[in-house]
Amino acid sequence: MDRRKFLKTAAVAGCGLLIGEALHSGVSPSEAAEKYDLVVAHGAGKPASDITKATISAIGGMKRFVSRGDIVVVKPNIGWDRLPEQAANVVKPNIGWDRLPEQAANTNPEVVAAIVKLCFEAGAKKVKVFDRTCNDPRRCYKQSGISDAVSSLGAEVSFIDERRFRDISIKGQVIKSWPLYRDIFEADKVINVPVAKHHGLAKLTMAMKNWMGVMGGQRGSIHQKIGESLADLCLVIKPSLTVLDAIRILTANGPQGGDLKDVKRLDTLIAGVDQVAIDSYGATLFGMKGSDLSYVKAGNAMGIGSMDISRLKINRLNV
Amino acid sequence: MSKQILRKISQGLFLLLFLFLFIRTESKGNDTLGYPVRLFLDFDPLIFLTTLFASRGGQIPAGFFLSLITILVTIVLGRVFCGWLCPLGTLNTIVGSFRRRQSIPLDAKWHRLKYYILIVLIVSSVFTLQIAGIMDPLSLIIRSFSVSIYPLADNGIRALFDTIYNTNISGLVDVSEAVYGLLKKSLLAFRPLFYLQAVFTGVIFFLILAMNLIENRFWCKYLCPLGALLGLCSRYSVLKRETSEGCTGCGICAKACQGGAISEKNDNWRNTECLACFSCDDSCPQNAVSFGLGKQKNQAMDLGRRQVMASMLSGALAVPLLRSTPLSKTTYSNPDLLRPPGALEEKEFLKRCVKCGECMKVCITNGLQPTLLEAGLEGIWSPRLIPRIGHCEYRCTLCGQVCPAGAIRRMPLEEKTKVIIGLAMIDKGRCLPYAHAIPCIVCEEMCPTSPKAIWFEETVVRRRDGKELIVQQPRIDLNLCIGCGICEAKCPVGNRAAIYVTNIGESRSQANQLLL
Repeated sequence: MDRRKFLKTAAVAGCGLLIGEALHSGVSPSEAAEKYDLVVAHGAGKPASDITKATISAIGGMKRFVSRGDIVVVKPNIGWDRLPEQAANVVKPNIGWDRLPEQAANTNPEVVAAIVKLCFEAGAKKVKVFDRTCNDPRRCYKQSGISDAVSSLGAEVSFIDERRFRDISIKGQVIKSWPLYRDIFEADKVINVPVAKHHGLAKLTMAMKNWMGVMGGQRGSIHQKIGESLADLCLVIKPSLTVLDAIRILTANGPQGGDLKDVKRLDTLIAGVDQVAIDSYGATLFGMKGSDLSYVKAGNAMGIGSMDISRLKINRLNV
Repeated sequence: MSKQILRKISQGLFLLLFLFLFIRTESKGNDTLGYPVRLFLDFDPLIFLTTLFASRGGQIPAGFFLSLITILVTIVLGRVFCGWLCPLGTLNTIVGSFRRRQSIPLDAKWHRLKYYILIVLIVSSVFTLQIAGIMDPLSLIIRSFSVSIYPLADNGIRALFDTIYNTNISGLVDVSEAVYGLLKKSLLAFRPLFYLQAVFTGVIFFLILAMNLIENRFWCKYLCPLGALLGLCSRYSVLKRETSEGCTGCGICAKACQGGAISEKNDNWRNTECLACFSCDDSCPQNAVSFGLGKQKNQAMDLGRRQVMASMLSGALAVPLLRSTPLSKTTYSNPDLLRPPGALEEKEFLKRCVKCGECMKVCITNGLQPTLLEAGLEGIWSPRLIPRIGHCEYRCTLCGQVCPAGAIRRMPLEEKTKVIIGLAMIDKGRCLPYAHAIPCIVCEEMCPTSPKAIWFEETVVRRRDGKELIVQQPRIDLNLCIGCGICEAKCPVGNRAAIYVTNIGESRSQANQLLL
């Protein structure tokens, strides 16, 4: 931080403290929220954007994670050409698939949009949204509804540029080095916004597995040792915040689904900082335990996070 | 403003329109393209006639009837299409303008060659052989641009900007990346394009352009079958060239003539060769040339009875000759010949496909590639899916939307996702869970059908060290597989995939079936 930036930050922080003092007599929201490890917000029939706002505010407000002038990456899951109703990714959503929103193969566009909006409200300078998709990127971005939902808010929605992968050394059990997307490491803050859905090998794909969307090269090979590989990846990718989208979950035929019969509407979001804890809690939505998932177990063993949700302070919230 | 200037403006505008529609023949992520990208082919009467004959009046795409407008305009005004509109003609004149010295034109009798070519194409189409697309100028230019010229330009520009990018000179890279970003949004392809036959079609195209250095519009004068067809239509055209008594027979007009329609001394003008370019009008020092609704009798082109008979015979003989390949047997087919979804049954498909390459240009994964001899000589440059280059994207219907001839049916998404291109098979000797007891599920993960055509059988296998473990071995449900090939495209077993699609089971064939 150079001197000028320091002075600016100090001035802003100082003013903020003064104003904050004047407005709240009690504890500030961020202090209150830090008591909880996870926020699980449920809002039957409520708009996804409202649930998102409530969730973020319960976890301490976006200002807890995003500072003025930050460059934020929101990583959704847009891996598939599916409609929003078929599943959900920095705000790194999951945009991997050519599916429409109702098909729950990609992150819910309303959730991603609400998070992007909150980032800007918290003073973010730039918000980037991208995913290395499985189906054709043009179709995934468009059909998932995410591109349209966030570009109008001023977020930078860009397709993966192959030149921006950099070999990152990872002192992992399995992965020693892998080409990962530069923007993740150049951003001030990274927000992981995966969707909860079924997967043939990993059983479920949620927060940790969403990082496959920033892997270059022959990423399919990591399925050979999926648990350790994903945990290794999380050694270097550390999002400030993770919001698991369970507005709609995909219970079978994942990760891309296609049949609305496999989609279950839960109107739920789970937010927190610990990705292992979030995935562990996410497993319960499908009637599983965190220890059923190889990557959650590996992440827990490597000390990346905690899978024992009985020991977590969870704020269960009805919107 | 002189008529020549008007003509040049018209040529320029139509060339730009052509390029615009060509570049817009690319997905933006929506289900449809939003532009009539095959417009030029719709106005092509040669493609219309040969399709009409070859398909024996089967369903003709409605767009083709626009080509009747071309015929009507030609009957009234002559070959204005060639002179004012044709994008290949315009490129020919541009290249021709680089020729420094006046060339000596070939003997007038060489003009007949294109009529013989036309006769071969028309007669063979009457006997159901559709090979007009090989020489039809619009088909040729779209194909050449799709598989060769555009990828060439695109890859060249990318290489330039990548080189600048890798210099890491901060100021320079910022500027170049900004320009690069704009180009990516406008002129460049979404991703680098690669085509088989790119060199072959490119060389042919450059040779055609280079012929202009021998003689301006060499292709248009001597080879173009569409020019010949329009020449026949203009035989009785109303717009005629007249020379007043002021003509000194200096021959300047003959030299300026783009179609080679005027004899050396300006004592003979052939309507069928005139491109209505008005070069003669503008170049005449005596101002003695005019165009109007004259009564002068048109000069007929004498094609020679024997030569016409020989051409017709050639056209007829070409049909059994090109079809005396084992590929014509219903019981034999090239297993790797995967046709795009919605392609008609192979024989019907070949009667329709005009080899324009629109489907290959629009294919969202670059998987549709031109054949060489995989479908016989008759099927040269027709589309074939090579999953290892690019699979058929489950929810994409673009190839059927752009096909001008109805060789690939236009289908709603619902219907398209049910069309079987072929069936996937597993190479157990290469597949990781089968051959090496290593977990891998990529094919199953990628399989787009619901329920998935690829399912797992959990099997206990033993490793070299004697340790037993359970692996998920992929199996294929032949009742669900549609042969889209995404499994083959994404299979992590490098070079040769452990799962591959052949055309057995394809919906369009009755003979090539596997299941009872």
